[in-house]
Amino acid sequence: MKILVCVKQVPDMESKFKIDSSSKWYDQSDLVYKINEYDEYAAEEAVRLKEKVSGSELTVLSIGPERVKDAIRKVLAMGADKGIHILDNEEHLKDPFQKASAIAEYAKSENFDIIFTGLQSQDRGSAQLAPLLAGMLNYSFVSTVVAFENKEGYVEVARELEGGLRAKVKVKLPAVVACQLGLNTPRYPTLPNIMKAKRKELKTVNIEELLKVEPLIETEKVYFPERKAGGIVLEGKADEMADELIKILKEKTQVVK
Amino acid sequence: MSELLKGGEFLIREVSKDEVFTPEDLSSEQKQMMETTEQFIKNEVMPDVDAMDNSNHNFDLLVSHMKQAGELGLFSIYAPEEYDGLDLGLTTGACVVEKIAPAGSFSVAYAAHVGIGSLPLIYYGTKEQKEKYLPKLVSGEWIAAYCLTEPDAGTDALGMRAVAKLSDDGKYYILNGTKQFITNGSIADLYTVFAKTPEGEYVAFLVERNFEGVSVGREEDKMGIRGSSTAQIMFDNAKIPVENLLGKVGEGHKIAFQVLDEGRFVLGAAAVGAAKAALEDAVVYANDRKQFGMPLTKFGAIKEKIADMVSGIYSAESLAYRLAGLYDERVSTIDVGKDDPDYYKYYHKALEDYAVECSITKVYCSELLDKVADEVVQIYGGYGFIKEYPAERYYRDSRINRIFEGTNEINRYLVPGMLLKKGMKGELPLVQKAKEALDIMMTPSFEELDESVRFIKEKTLISNLKTMFLVLAGAAVQKYMDKIKNEQEVLFALADMAIGIFSMESAVLRADKVYDKVSDAKKKIFESAVKVATFNLNEDIAKAAKKAAYFVEEGDNLMAIISGIRRFTKYDASGLLQAKRELANYTIENAKYPF
Repeated sequence: MKILVCVKQVPDMESKFKIDSSSKWYDQSDLVYKINEYDEYAAEEAVRLKEKVSGSELTVLSIGPERVKDAIRKVLAMGADKGIHILDNEEHLKDPFQKASAIAEYAKSENFDIIFTGLQSQDRGSAQLAPLLAGMLNYSFVSTVVAFENKEGYVEVARELEGGLRAKVKVKLPAVVACQLGLNTPRYPTLPNIMKAKRKELKTVNIEELLKVEPLIETEKVYFPERKAGGIVLEGKADEMADELIKILKEKTQVVK
Repeated sequence: MSELLKGGEFLIREVSKDEVFTPEDLSSEQKQMMETTEQFIKNEVMPDVDAMDNSNHNFDLLVSHMKQAGELGLFSIYAPEEYDGLDLGLTTGACVVEKIAPAGSFSVAYAAHVGIGSLPLIYYGTKEQKEKYLPKLVSGEWIAAYCLTEPDAGTDALGMRAVAKLSDDGKYYILNGTKQFITNGSIADLYTVFAKTPEGEYVAFLVERNFEGVSVGREEDKMGIRGSSTAQIMFDNAKIPVENLLGKVGEGHKIAFQVLDEGRFVLGAAAVGAAKAALEDAVVYANDRKQFGMPLTKFGAIKEKIADMVSGIYSAESLAYRLAGLYDERVSTIDVGKDDPDYYKYYHKALEDYAVECSITKVYCSELLDKVADEVVQIYGGYGFIKEYPAERYYRDSRINRIFEGTNEINRYLVPGMLLKKGMKGELPLVQKAKEALDIMMTPSFEELDESVRFIKEKTLISNLKTMFLVLAGAAVQKYMDKIKNEQEVLFALADMAIGIFSMESAVLRADKVYDKVSDAKKKIFESAVKVATFNLNEDIAKAAKKAAYFVEEGDNLMAIISGIRRFTKYDASGLLQAKRELANYTIENAKYPF
């Protein structure tokens, strides 16, 4: 089987975000980056599938600046065979359509049987890349996948629906599978595997070689929503709080005169 | 780049930023290993830390996590590749142990196994011994322990009484004695045991737990790291096959002390990791906890504590990784191949050269951790005294670091001792440099600082402090000659100066090295950390210098030196308050150690 997993590198979501000077994205300096959580599940499932089906080859792909190689290396250490780095220092300014078409451009000649992605990225959160990619390659598409099993010539997945429901779905190959949280427990790359990954192939392609389309949507600006003024919490004994409340109502409103 | 810095040489020459290794220089693989370790500790081990500590000496949980660590390859760092190891060196060792350190008891079990437990075999084992035992230690199937201390031989380790006598048929050594405070004692399968022959020669053995006559005694009930095993190991006519003799007869003490050096370095790196974890817990707590209607982190009292902790950890981290870099670089210059039977001889010669820096790292990092743990309890206030909160455990767990793997006293004693030895052997031109230093001190200088040089105030101070150290060391040697080894108070004051100077220099040179590569916001944070660290360290060094002067000199000489100290410890720390606040605020906003 030829398997591809697409991963995105995103900042640690506990970081303190600032808007950058262009107001189109967050300031990327001094952030700690890691693999998008949804993509970790995709990577783990891809590695498991590769380990199960002998003779399989697993490629890991990521788009972004030099630093995203760290994300690729981690998936190589988890068990992928080779890496493709699509070098793009302005990945954050591309829309999902452009990114999907760049990946499709790369993937169309590779004839992957199955492509794993995360359901969405933790920073942009558009959840568009996977369905667009499936459409462009004319692959089956299934999303919110929480269980995965490889069968003869097709795959069977469980999808998470609203209201606590799940759906069991048969998916024809080739397919794009977008993974939901909880699909599996991603492994920690072991130290020996981290060292082995160093010797695996990691090819870099410039985004210009793969990108042939204009964006369809444009982010005008990113901003923090205005904070609503905080309320006042009174504490103390009931009668004192009542006095305090009347005082505030008298001073700051027209309710009590 | 100038020639690789020799051990102790930092005190007699100027060092440039390109000569120091910094955490910012770590490779992608090393960072990934840190991530793997951090995730493993956070997700698997930390949730069980309290249960391990309260297990009443049931070590099932501890052992099961040790096995997991083995599966992840965390025991493979130092072993050669032909025995399933990765042979990655001390920098990688520091990276991993730093991330394991927050897990107190587990961390101690880990370090004892990978470090002093397994290293004697790696360094001195024969091919047969390594084939038999090393893969088991690397995989975690077996756990290792190091048995040196005895009930009556602690710091005076060579005063050991354990005796190993060759049997009449020459097939066994008959070992008798008791080893005390053995980390991993109850969970280990392989003990490296040090003893004396009846002729008084030191020997080391690889002793399997199941050998006849080996028994594990009582578990100690400890103040901290309560989930780790610390037990007596008894040898009652234990039969040790001669093929389990490690190294040669007469080499035992060498083996024991060589691995201790590395153990001390690793301990320093671990202390850095534990200090970071304790700090971060305290900052998160202080952001959350409100008094007078405000989070604690809004108060200057708390901000200053945070700034001092961050700058201290920053110096400790800078010096630990600097030493790691020196080690690995020196090891990489060894001429013989790794398969050469004498490889580890050269390896030890390389490492031994930095024994001064190694002791400095152990002392500075372990004392820094204690200060941090103490302030973390203070920030938690009453809750810091309650077991339910993590501060209490950090406080108890940290204390042992100043005691084991060589007390901080013996390490302080070693610092000037080893330097003087290097001077005597002609490896360091100390006498010459001390004379020059005296001239420099007696010559007035009106030179203005070249403000265009980055960190010029700090660099000038460091150079002045080195001069002062040399003047005082020179005066002490002149007065006591070879009897100086009996003047421990003087030696300790000199040690404190050397410790402060190495820490300050590491902190400054690291900031200088990475400065151009970081964002503007980060530049300010580096500057603040350098200012706070330099100020704090300089105050400590000045005090140690004065103490040394009053101890050694009198009359006119004393007055000349005291005024020299005044001049040479001058540091203009203008903007100190601002620097502390900036450092604290950055840490508070991100709720993380900023470097």
